[in-house]
Amino acid sequence: MSIPESHLAQEAIAALVDGELSGGAAGRAARHLGGCAQCRMAVAAQREAKAALQQDEDVAVPGDLLSRLKAIPFTADVPGGGGLGGLSAGAEGLTLDGAGGAWAIPLAPARPQRPTDTGSRWLRRGMTGALAGIGLGVAVLAVTLPAADVPTDDGPAGGAVAGAVRSTDSAERTDIVPPVARTLTVGSTTPLPNGGTP
Amino acid sequence: MAPTWEQVVRDHSARVYRLAYRLSGNQQDAEDLTQETFVRVFRSLADFSPGTFEGWLHRITTNLFLDMVRRRQRIRFDALPEDTERLPGAAPSPEQVYADTHLDPQVQAALDALSPEFRVAVVLCDIEGLTYEEISATLGIKLGTVRSRIHRGRVQLREALAHLAPGRPPLTEAGATS
Repeated sequence: MSIPESHLAQEAIAALVDGELSGGAAGRAARHLGGCAQCRMAVAAQREAKAALQQDEDVAVPGDLLSRLKAIPFTADVPGGGGLGGLSAGAEGLTLDGAGGAWAIPLAPARPQRPTDTGSRWLRRGMTGALAGIGLGVAVLAVTLPAADVPTDDGPAGGAVAGAVRSTDSAERTDIVPPVARTLTVGSTTPLPNGGTP
Repeated sequence: MAPTWEQVVRDHSARVYRLAYRLSGNQQDAEDLTQETFVRVFRSLADFSPGTFEGWLHRITTNLFLDMVRRRQRIRFDALPEDTERLPGAAPSPEQVYADTHLDPQVQAALDALSPEFRVAVVLCDIEGLTYEEISATLGIKLGTVRSRIHRGRVQLREALAHLAPGRPPLTEAGATS
């Protein structure tokens, strides 16, 4: 006890007030506070400032701002690349295909995510999603066209086109490294059977 | 099930707007920041990276705010050679501020008097309730920097409050020593 105790570091005072000190450090700080009025005052000052901010309540968003935010899908420029998926999500007001797969995840953080290489994975996933969407569209065309206009002649041709598109799609899926193929099934199993089976 | 864009706006706009208002201190900037935040969210939904959606929103909003502040500081640089402290004045009336934001106008004014870096740290901690680790990740600064910005921000906040409301007793002789 011959060494005179110094005061608590400022960082420690803030951390103490916020409950961010580890058990041992918090215990030492508490012992020091017991005998040091100066540090007690510093802690009280931090608490007071924190309390002043914590009377905060919710803020009402101005009505016209809210409608501008809702209109963003129709007003914002979406730079090239991800444009297709993003725009289709906005224009429908609903998520679908690539875009749907891409942003269903962020709002449900419980779903497992791999921390590594996520950027390119999302990109590839979005692209394949978009491809799946196109494939779906062609497949629907192929199914509806012959029924409506041309009796039998164009049927096989349309089917071949749809088949070709679908096969590139599945090739794309198998080309990609295993973890991607696994996550892809989450997004694309739903749209594919609908268009693919008939 | 994937939410619609309207749901995203409905669920998160109040939080983003409040943060933007606490940081910028006025409705115009808060609206601009909120709008820009959601534009960014809309554009980059596809390459959203891991972490919570809320954390992502905090990061976009605070970075947009700091960008805005830096841009304005650069513009003012020629006009004001000294980095004079920003004084709360010429703002909307206190009644208006309270009606808009439900925060004691003096507290908002004291917040406005903080330097932007301190203000961001204190707001994320005391209003948004983020942990030091989350603040460190949001702002891309070290844990030690988070601690000291929060500490110094609160010390300044109390001084500003004491200055604005002389009724409050000052008790920071200890907090001011370095």
